[in-house]
Amino acid sequence: MTLYEGQKGGSFRVVRMDLPVQTERRLEVLGMLEGTAVTVVNRKKKGAMVINIRGTRFAVGQSITERIEVEKV
Amino acid sequence: MSTKDLTIGFVGNPNCGKTTLFNAYTGANLKVANWPGVTVEKKEGAMRFHDENYRLVDLPGTYSLTSYTMEETVTRQYILSDDVDVIVDVADASALERNLYLTLQLIELGKPVVLALNMMDIVQERGMEIDLHRLPEMLGIPCVPVSARKKTGLEILIHTVAHHKDKALGEKIIHHHDPEDSRHEGAEEHHKMYAMVYSDEIEDKIDEIADLFKKEYPNIKNLRWHAIKILENDQELREKYPLDFSGILDKDYEKEMINQKFGFVEEVIAECVVNKNKKAQSTDKTDRILTHPVLGLPVFLLIMAGVFFLTFTVGDWLKGYFEVALEWITGAVAGGLTNFGVHEMLISLITDGIIAGVGGILTFLPNIFILFLALAFLEDSGYMARVAYVMDGIMGKIGLSGRAFLPMLLGFGCTVPAVMASRVLENRADRMKTILITPFMSCSARLPVYVLFSSLFFGDKAMIAAFSMYVLGLCVAILAAYVMKLLDKEKESSMLLIELPEYKTPNAHTIRVYVWEKVKDYLSKAGTTIFLASIVMWVVMNVGPHGFTADMDASFGAIIGKILVPFFTPIGLGYWQIVLALISGIAAKEVVVSSCTVLFGIGNVTTRAGMSSLSALLESMGFGALNAYVLMVFCLLYVPCMAAVATIRRETGSWKWTGAMAVFQIATAWVVSFVIFQIGGLF
Repeated sequence: MTLYEGQKGGSFRVVRMDLPVQTERRLEVLGMLEGTAVTVVNRKKKGAMVINIRGTRFAVGQSITERIEVEKV
Repeated sequence: MSTKDLTIGFVGNPNCGKTTLFNAYTGANLKVANWPGVTVEKKEGAMRFHDENYRLVDLPGTYSLTSYTMEETVTRQYILSDDVDVIVDVADASALERNLYLTLQLIELGKPVVLALNMMDIVQERGMEIDLHRLPEMLGIPCVPVSARKKTGLEILIHTVAHHKDKALGEKIIHHHDPEDSRHEGAEEHHKMYAMVYSDEIEDKIDEIADLFKKEYPNIKNLRWHAIKILENDQELREKYPLDFSGILDKDYEKEMINQKFGFVEEVIAECVVNKNKKAQSTDKTDRILTHPVLGLPVFLLIMAGVFFLTFTVGDWLKGYFEVALEWITGAVAGGLTNFGVHEMLISLITDGIIAGVGGILTFLPNIFILFLALAFLEDSGYMARVAYVMDGIMGKIGLSGRAFLPMLLGFGCTVPAVMASRVLENRADRMKTILITPFMSCSARLPVYVLFSSLFFGDKAMIAAFSMYVLGLCVAILAAYVMKLLDKEKESSMLLIELPEYKTPNAHTIRVYVWEKVKDYLSKAGTTIFLASIVMWVVMNVGPHGFTADMDASFGAIIGKILVPFFTPIGLGYWQIVLALISGIAAKEVVVSSCTVLFGIGNVTTRAGMSSLSALLESMGFGALNAYVLMVFCLLYVPCMAAVATIRRETGSWKWTGAMAVFQIATAWVVSFVIFQIGGLF
């Protein structure tokens, strides 16, 4: 599944990211790597969501979350 | 001790409290400039400690030291320069896991680094604990707990900096990962010297690159860092050192290296932080309302309405006093100068030109002050980042970032603070787009123009005519943004990715510094430009081929107006007085009204008698309701006032861009007016 499909409150593990290199690097230096645990803190019905990576919250747009493959933990 | 002052560079992630810490040392006594060639702010301050002078430099907040963004490049170049002696790495101790990634990169640079564990008060409040004995052991650098907000640990930090200034590498590093597992040559040494040791494969590569560097560039000091950066395929360094690395760089190592760094960060956190999962309950609670999927938007609109209200009601109320004072000063100066027998031309220049122009700008000061006070509260409390999230969907449709909503809304009040508020956008392209469309939002100075002409020509439908201007401005802004989005093919959509910091009570000191900066900036920069522009405007209006003239009809302005008449005829505004009034409106939009009264020789245009004589005069010239409506449209859309143009120049840092924008706005105004006039003429 993609991170975009994740429900509020759900915990996931990043499996794969299919993003432009620049965006992927930005996420990586924030600590979002393959294998990193992500929780969905909040989300809109359609669009952006708030996620927690390594204790920090980030607002992430749909165009990014759609292209992050995750698995439920 | 040394004769040279010690320079300390403050580096840290965004939202780590770096600026608060910096301000705690320097107070409001700052030198703010831009870094050469870029629009990233550079803040410098000074302090004395134990009879030594220290120069403090606040570097832009950054998550890493690659060179992807302007901020990163600036920070990296500055740290690498000989200018900085000691780096203070400010970390949010309550989110240490993310902050340590930057710390590891800073340590790799090979300069003296001191880690300031900021927000220790929050760490304690939450019941977390940090092992301050083990942490420096693992990182090899001094780690000092501080709280910038509570002002604790500040002296100890500077003391540590003073003692640590000559130590590039830490004394001893003790890790539990066993170097004996490693077959890498010198692994044991590595683990004692470097906080971050990579896998054998990568360490081998680093050695190979370092050897190559040593041969070609024997003078490089921090070989290991250069080798690491080359291995990460850093473009800047690859270009600077065009060596043949093809045999070594057989694949992309950057990702793997980031991975391993975070692996080590996790190790550090596991050993040094106790109770790291204690969450910030209060932030989650607040966010339940402020970023609620349904309520988030109305709550944001309410907050904005509050800001808007404060800025333009309280601000205007204070502005009234400023205007009274200005009038009094003008009168006093004119009277004084007359008494001294100063030439009437000089008096006119000083009172009508300089005091009117510069003073007019000064009257906006209360608005600017209140606006930035409100913005500082929103920013420092942590709410501003949420705006991007809340507005993302709606603004995304027209290709703008969620935060662009704020400047657009403020544009209904005054374009000057609105353009300045575009600073809340972190991305330059977004900022430019927003600045371009903000002037289309009908500002309060345009209202007098609508009021005059709509009440002259539209009778009881005057309100509707005036209100339609606001709608039209908004439509043009949205359309312009949409067209730009269509033209901008490369970016599919602006990718929202922004940290949402913990909510906190705004810090009075931080707010004071922030507001004072903006006010000072507004006064000095806009003031100088306005000063010159006011003189130019006065000359155009008061000097003609035969020298100084009190009769505007004989001024260069009138000549210019007459030359431009053919350009305005197709849109129904081909009257030189109107053209000249529009030109003078560049000084300030309200001036269009006062110029009309002067040019048409009507004494008091706001009285019933004055109005009817003006409308009779205009109608005798063939200037009817349609012309009046087009005039309002043109006023709405053409170049904003001088103050706004000067601010746009300031914010964009480019005359070329500002000029292009002015042309674009005139073109838009002309085209829209043309369409309305021609279609309206059919009925």
